[in-house]
Amino acid sequence: MTQEILRLENVCKRFGGIVVADDICLSLHAGDVLGLIGPNGAGKTTLFNLISGLIQPDAGRIYLQGHALTGPLHRRARAGVARTWQHMRLFRTMTVLENMLVGPRNYPGESLLRSMIGTPSVHRAEAAARDRAMHVLERMGLTNTASTIVVDLPFGQQKLVGLARALMNDGPCLLLDEPMAGVEGSNYETMQRIVRDEAAAGRAVCVVEHNVSFIKDLCTEAIFMSYGRILKRGSVDDLTRSRELTELYFGTADA
Amino acid sequence: MDYLASAGVLIGIYIILAAGYNLIIGYGGLNTIAHPIFFALGAYTTALLAIGTGLPPVICIAAGIGVAVIASVFLAVTTLRISGDYLLIASLGFQLGLLQAINNLDFTGGPSGLSNIPVTLSGPARGWLYLMITAALALLVIWLVHRGMSGPFGRAVRAMRDDDVACAALGRGLFTMKVVIFAFGCGTAGLAGGMYAYYFQYISPEQFNVAQSATILTMVVLGGIGTIWGPVLGAFVLVALPQVITFLQLPSSLVGPLQGLIFTSLVILFLFLRPHGLVGTRTPGAAH
Amino acid sequence: MTDPVILLQILWTGIAMSSYFVLFTVAFALTLKVEKLWNFAQAGLMGIAFYTMFWSLNAAHWPTWAGIVASVLLTIGVTIGMEIWAIDVLRRRHSSGLIFFIFTLIFSQFVAFLLTLLFGTEPETIFPSVMSPVRIVSGIAVSDWDLQAVGLTAALLIALYLLIRFTRDGQFMLAVADNEKLSEIYGISARRAYILSGVISALLIVAGIWLYGTRAGVTPDVPVDLILTAVIATLIGGLGRVFSAGMVAVGLALLQSFSILFIASKWQGLLLYGILFFALLVFPRGIPAWRPRRIQPAPKPAAPVQAEG
Repeated sequence: MTQEILRLENVCKRFGGIVVADDICLSLHAGDVLGLIGPNGAGKTTLFNLISGLIQPDAGRIYLQGHALTGPLHRRARAGVARTWQHMRLFRTMTVLENMLVGPRNYPGESLLRSMIGTPSVHRAEAAARDRAMHVLERMGLTNTASTIVVDLPFGQQKLVGLARALMNDGPCLLLDEPMAGVEGSNYETMQRIVRDEAAAGRAVCVVEHNVSFIKDLCTEAIFMSYGRILKRGSVDDLTRSRELTELYFGTADA
Repeated sequence: MDYLASAGVLIGIYIILAAGYNLIIGYGGLNTIAHPIFFALGAYTTALLAIGTGLPPVICIAAGIGVAVIASVFLAVTTLRISGDYLLIASLGFQLGLLQAINNLDFTGGPSGLSNIPVTLSGPARGWLYLMITAALALLVIWLVHRGMSGPFGRAVRAMRDDDVACAALGRGLFTMKVVIFAFGCGTAGLAGGMYAYYFQYISPEQFNVAQSATILTMVVLGGIGTIWGPVLGAFVLVALPQVITFLQLPSSLVGPLQGLIFTSLVILFLFLRPHGLVGTRTPGAAH
Repeated sequence: MTDPVILLQILWTGIAMSSYFVLFTVAFALTLKVEKLWNFAQAGLMGIAFYTMFWSLNAAHWPTWAGIVASVLLTIGVTIGMEIWAIDVLRRRHSSGLIFFIFTLIFSQFVAFLLTLLFGTEPETIFPSVMSPVRIVSGIAVSDWDLQAVGLTAALLIALYLLIRFTRDGQFMLAVADNEKLSEIYGISARRAYILSGVISALLIVAGIWLYGTRAGVTPDVPVDLILTAVIATLIGGLGRVFSAGMVAVGLALLQSFSILFIASKWQGLLLYGILFFALLVFPRGIPAWRPRRIQPAPKPAAPVQAEG
């Protein structure tokens, strides 16, 4: 049995009268790549927001490697929850490398004073972060984009930068929100390869994705969500073969 | 010639004010306009200590900086939850409230202010000495702002301005960053206040009112918000140009309002002719 | 225990004194509602309005009505000019809020400096005397000025209410305040609404400064203090709620009047700013009622809750 990374116990969240997370229980182990599917508005991204701390649950508990995961976004990122965003949320005035250098868990020069003086510890940490960033970019074949302003990149590469930036956080839990939306060709291959590598390296990965074939290729298991509830957990084939679920999915999806 | 030195000191002080304020509003993206109150706190603390205790100037000024920093942390911690325009108004309330207090307390000299600040440097070279010290301090502040904003801290600040949620989700504590920026910027205002008190030897509440907020804000925005040299240039131009008419030998009752007219006309002109600042960045607030 | 007659006297005087606060506040709140503009330039307009009346009555010795007409015309003229040649330009450039803030505040300062140059810094009043005949109504002193102030303010507010409620232009103004883009699609000119709200505000400002200037001395710096009170009342009263902002102005004036029973008058200013500061601390995104009342959308099943927009 591999180590359990993430555990959700009876997590609930409502907005007004709308239940967006209804008694969610979930367990994720090192090396897992869990797919998260379901119709629009099923609460998939909300679940990510609950785990990463953008919103706080009304009830229930979340554990990361056995420790209670609480507090706002930045605390949880430092605890080791890395995530990407459906709309990337890149820092648009900054270069690819600068985007990534914001990402390490132990950030060099968190202190203004040390950053002003430029202490040796800041320099060392900067150099280490830079090496790490270049290594990640190299794995993605993005080395030559390092000093490009991110918004000048084609869409598919921006998506990769979003992932690369999240990978700067070397924590055990990686949440990917629609990484494949709008990604094609070689970028698609790269994305798959990287996600597999990260899982193999011992991370627990959770992917929200509409592209079912991507989920099929990648995920050992998937869960199906609807109206804030987990309806079923199983192999991707099982889920897609279930008539009830398929109807829910394609019957209500607007696209 | 002493007059030139005096104008130089004033420019230096405004450069410090503008550079510190630029850090807060241009880099930190915190819409406060209470900067003059920290200038005032620095000036009053320094002046009161100098008058009352005769401690060495360095210590008095350091105390002024300290008080400004403490007050700014209080303001930051209480009001940073307030968003956008409302923060601007809340800071205005803070500034005017404190100013009212200064205006009505006895030990601050009330509306007539403090005029018996002891002479620290004397002799014929006094003006030039002060000018050199102020210039050195102004350069130091510019350098620190530049260093701070080009290093890793500044990178996180820019990231915060581009997308605060994404920045926090990468582990950056935005609240702490904002408080630190605010405290540093306001500390430099305290420093400027200390220099002001020692050099001009007279301070009064009306020097720190809303008009002063508008002045410093204008220097930053018209110079080029979020750039290193923009606010410096803005402070220089907007202090220096109105000084020109002092050479015209006009009666003193005319000089004040005329300088004010020149200043406000310049602002309105720049506002419409150079909307992106003298050091022009396309998008106001972007560092690149 | 304080004598009830004294309390009633304070109440009445407070209400009368609140008249110009109310007018300035409603003017400020109206432009904020319709134009989405924190129009600090209204301080400059107050200065222009006052000194036009002062000059035409005391230096040019015009009849009172001519002075008022001149003041109304000039104030409206400046308002429209500013709207067309300045505010509209900034709006088309999509300038940030800071730029509008700077422009409006600096405009007011420009006017203040100009007026200082022309008229000096001595406090001036519209008429040489600020005394007005007083009658005693059941123990309370009621001056002619009090009656005029309350009557004028009430009349103007009722007129404004009727205009907004029952005229097409008034309705258009509300529509533009609610959604400028949508209104334009329906053929409502936002610009016309902006100018109308500016003109109405200018009228209220002239009336307010008339009341102020017939009772107390005005210097070129006074308008900035007056506008700050209007800002505070507008904030507490609620963005987009013009008349409740006016009510808050009455409340603040009364609070200040009654506070003389407890605290020295020199601390009243501090009281006002304190209220502002703490109101914002408690309601960091504005007073809850600020959000325009909308019909709650029917709950959709599991609406997507995402940080992304």
